[in-house]
Amino acid sequence: MVKMMFRRSIILLISLSLILTACSPNLNPTTNPTVTEVPATLAIPTGTAITGAPVKPITMVDGLGREIELPGPAQRIISLTPATTEILFAIGAGTQVVGRDTFSDYPAEAGSVTDIGGSMGKYNTEAMVNLQPDLIVAGGINPPELVASLESLGLQVFFLANPTTLDELYTSIKTVGDLTGNKSGAADVVAKMDSKVKEIDTKLIGITERPMLYYELDATPFTAGPGTFVDLLITRAGGTNFGANMDSAWAQISLEQLLLADPAFIILGDSAYGETVATVTARPGWNALTAVKDLKIFPFDDNLVSRPGPRLVDGLEALAHLIHPEAFK
Amino acid sequence: MQKHLLPYLTNLGLLLVAVILSLAIGSVFISPAQLWQILRSWLSHSSLPAGLETFSFIISDIRLPRTVLVLLTGAALGGSGTAYQGLFRNPLADPYLIGVASGAGLGAVLAMSIRWPYTFWGLLAVPMSAFLFAMLTVMLVYSLARVGRTVPTTNLILSGVAFSAFATALTSYLIISSQGEVRRALGWLMGGASQNSWQTVLAILPYLVIGLGFLLMNGHALNLLQFGDDQAQQLGLPVMRTKTLLLLAASLATAAAVSFSGIIGFIGLIVPHVMRLWWGADYRRLLPLSILAGGGFLILADILARSVMRPQELPVGIVTALAGAPFFLWVLRRSKNQGYW
Repeated sequence: MVKMMFRRSIILLISLSLILTACSPNLNPTTNPTVTEVPATLAIPTGTAITGAPVKPITMVDGLGREIELPGPAQRIISLTPATTEILFAIGAGTQVVGRDTFSDYPAEAGSVTDIGGSMGKYNTEAMVNLQPDLIVAGGINPPELVASLESLGLQVFFLANPTTLDELYTSIKTVGDLTGNKSGAADVVAKMDSKVKEIDTKLIGITERPMLYYELDATPFTAGPGTFVDLLITRAGGTNFGANMDSAWAQISLEQLLLADPAFIILGDSAYGETVATVTARPGWNALTAVKDLKIFPFDDNLVSRPGPRLVDGLEALAHLIHPEAFK
Repeated sequence: MQKHLLPYLTNLGLLLVAVILSLAIGSVFISPAQLWQILRSWLSHSSLPAGLETFSFIISDIRLPRTVLVLLTGAALGGSGTAYQGLFRNPLADPYLIGVASGAGLGAVLAMSIRWPYTFWGLLAVPMSAFLFAMLTVMLVYSLARVGRTVPTTNLILSGVAFSAFATALTSYLIISSQGEVRRALGWLMGGASQNSWQTVLAILPYLVIGLGFLLMNGHALNLLQFGDDQAQQLGLPVMRTKTLLLLAASLATAAAVSFSGIIGFIGLIVPHVMRLWWGADYRRLLPLSILAGGGFLILADILARSVMRPQELPVGIVTALAGAPFFLWVLRRSKNQGYW
């Protein structure tokens, strides 16, 4: 009995002290005292915008629901994901980018920008501070605690939530245009993407069948399910996604399910990791699949469908050509 | 007297060297002369030489809090590793033996699988959940291992291992079924301070002070426990109570440390052994020495973690095992003290 009370009191003590520590105002990132202590050099004054017009403050709500205010269009930008880097360069903000994550390899010009890490989600904060950015663009793959810790260093972060539809992507691109003073560049990119999508839609109007595609993310084998751009683009390109009815966005599947569905195409999104037509045909049991017998196996640049950026429409185009070559003759 | 102080001075010296190196080395090059100028201006409260403001900010707000956080984490792991080895009288014991790591991992990944609002509590969800699950796991394992009024060591280890396997499997399941949080979860499970700020230091400090403070006051009790439970009881030690409290204190310090830094393996296992090989097995000395050495060793590992693949950072858990294992084997081979345990 006494022992029970002793144990209970310990649990109570621990939970109490945890709550007390957590309640201390010092922990709150939004009222962080260090923000005011940032050396003046960290805030780069933006004199005039590129257009020469008088600078107006920019206020926008980001993907975490925070109101972000910039004194003017950002001039020293760090991009934390490959997708945001592609958006920045596409809309003409490339010269304003001073830092990018390790995996940002497109366009080629991004390669000469300072690398600020990012593998396993670990970024090099000190290199970022040293670059004295006036805006850090984070993407859906960045966890909120990263945003909080950068913010506690007095850095301005805009979190661009992961788009799930093309329209949401267009909004993201326009947002980045507004933040960086490239409104017209962003509008151009969106208009071009939209007209390309419409063009493909028109060509596909007459299709009579929607063949099934198995999109391979990994040879174990992993595929993409509902809620992903892979699923959305395959459907838009006139196909049926093998993973469309899965429970989760990314899942490991079995050869049995694959044999049962017997997809018409195998698309190798993992071709960058050494998977080829030869490795697929050599897999035990796979030669029973129609796509393997007909050699309808295609290596594919996964970056065209996995990065929510301007190149998604190129991914759509490539898929549409693959599935319905007759429509593009 | 001098001989008595030698181990402490050596360990403090090593720790100081590690701290200075940690402030001096980073991906942004700051020359020793500049570092000296910055430190001098802090100490004399004089204004900074022109052009060093950013460097000063990098040192005061990035490198220093990270160094302190890493030091505290290493100290907690070194200290509680020593306590666990003493408590279980087992050279294979480490701070994660009865489930702190697997519990914390489950808590962290569980919290990551939910989308929290970007608020004060939302941001604390992952470390808090890790901490709570770690402590709940320890208590659950402890009560599962109980037989009547005693808690046999073998039972404790076995239920710890079994429950850990269960929790780890659940964690893996959550990672696989989650929507693209794999990177974040793996980064956390392999260790490394991702949230390093003075706030984090303040958040874990109370637990470390309570946990490690209690251990430090019980070096003598740990010495007595080495004779076995019956002998210790006959020598006047309330064995059950002491063991329970020591277990809780060590787990509390470990849980607080890993809740923000993730699982950092190996250090809690080898630091106590190296200290025992170098300075002897008296727990009254072994505990403070392991705390100092744990802090110093983890700082050195962290320096390696952020410099070998610059500008990328490795999870520090990889470095502690990769650099720690050969170092430990070297110390073990060189030691003439065969029956040190």
